[in-house]
Amino acid sequence: MKKLYLTIGIAFAVILSILSVDNSSGIMHSGGVVMLKSIALSFLSPEISVEILKTALDATLTTVVYAFAGMSISIVLGLVFGVISSEAIFQSKLRPVSKLFRAILGFMRAIHELIWAWFFVASIGLSPLSGVFALAIPYGGTLGRIYSDMLDDVPKAPVSNLNSGGGSRLQVLFYGYLPSASSSMISYTMYRLECAIRSSAILSFVGLGGIGYQIQMALHDLNFSRAWTYVFVLVLVVTALDAWSNSIRKRLI
Amino acid sequence: MKRKFNFVNISILAVLLVFAYSWYYVVEVDGVSFSELFSEKNLEHSRKFIDGLMGIGEELPAFRDPESIKNVASLTYETLMMSILSIAIASVGMLMTVVYGARNISDGTLLKQRHWYAKPLFFAIRLLYIVTRAVPELIWAMIVVFIFKPGIIPGAIALAVHNFGIVGKLCSEVIENIEKGPVKSLYSSGASNSQMLIYGVFPMVLPKFMTYIVYRWEVIIRSTLVVGFIGAGGLGRQFKLSMSYFNYSEITLIMAAYLLLVFMADMLSRLFRNLSS
Repeated sequence: MKKLYLTIGIAFAVILSILSVDNSSGIMHSGGVVMLKSIALSFLSPEISVEILKTALDATLTTVVYAFAGMSISIVLGLVFGVISSEAIFQSKLRPVSKLFRAILGFMRAIHELIWAWFFVASIGLSPLSGVFALAIPYGGTLGRIYSDMLDDVPKAPVSNLNSGGGSRLQVLFYGYLPSASSSMISYTMYRLECAIRSSAILSFVGLGGIGYQIQMALHDLNFSRAWTYVFVLVLVVTALDAWSNSIRKRLI
Repeated sequence: MKRKFNFVNISILAVLLVFAYSWYYVVEVDGVSFSELFSEKNLEHSRKFIDGLMGIGEELPAFRDPESIKNVASLTYETLMMSILSIAIASVGMLMTVVYGARNISDGTLLKQRHWYAKPLFFAIRLLYIVTRAVPELIWAMIVVFIFKPGIIPGAIALAVHNFGIVGKLCSEVIENIEKGPVKSLYSSGASNSQMLIYGVFPMVLPKFMTYIVYRWEVIIRSTLVVGFIGAGGLGRQFKLSMSYFNYSEITLIMAAYLLLVFMADMLSRLFRNLSS
């Protein structure tokens, strides 16, 4: 019965969303079909020249650098906030502290990195650091949340042994919680690195350089074959990182 | 065992080196100076920005103006519809491709027969998943905007394309990790290929599919604002306008509506999990 209601609810929502599309004058541009054709055709014939590839490599480097710089801050943020909002240090009486930090993490995560970027550009100007910080905050929020869940999932027996052996809270954290959770934490962090590359590529929207910026420029000139070349480079980089993090995950699990 | 650790350790070391190089690049090549970060000018900018957000110095900040509130409320509804539309498109696309996107179906180990086109189809679908997944929704939005008129459609389609690749990958892996028992027993009682699929495979995988779909919907809600910048639909359009007019108290209102939407999505998906379990 519950399943039936759920199905009806979902179907209703989907129908409502289709109805909310403004269809008064058609959804496509007048030249939309022609555009679609030329975009699809240039997909099959990306522009490949030494110059383009050089630009692509340069832009990719910038994108990767911002992604990694942002992630390095996120990991620190995630570790500190994650430990505080887990049960590793703050127990029973101090739970409200953890709850507060969990809420802060939720807020950091809820706002998309590009909006953070916009805010940073409005307040500290168009510096690469705006992009780095913009990536660091939502990613720190995600990492912190996942780290704290992973720390909470640590098997309790070895940890309580350390506790009864008279270890201090910090010792229990460093010798009990962190080593047990480290492999899942590392594999999740690697996965987020791959996402960070993608996020870094779209920072071009607030005016920062990188592969996204090149794609944007090529699209502005309606040069679709060049745009596809840059898109394929981005796909290659993301897929390579994906393969790397997968092979790490396979070895850790 | 020893080799295992080596690969992981070397990887960690490599990542740390890239971290170090990245900071070197940001500081040396881009020439970022941290002292400038907190310069008089920037502090002034930040103060202005925050004052603007709080609506200080405005006669009627947007978040107290009934007109603006009404406008933002209708845009919020539009944004919600955009997210539902996009996850619907992504899910339908996924369901159409996922059967041949699963390795164990296309090589014939799960069902009984395999067609000559199964293998090339499998590679084509997997490649499609990889390309759609690796390109961020925003870049899809930039491309889609050439084809569709501004509104919620370009945003919905851009989000759908990116998420199609993600749910496609996740769901084809679900089929690959399926328990063979029930399907095999259907096989031994003489079910046809399609019967095995409909009565054996689907009942087992659909709940997991739904879990992934709902999880992606939550992620989509977070990105709607951003694709709205480009596709000119929903809250994103208004956000961009207010930003360009330095109408910061409107931004506060939009952010409040957006956060409300995100937390509502969070609650709905939790409700869904409780109902479906």
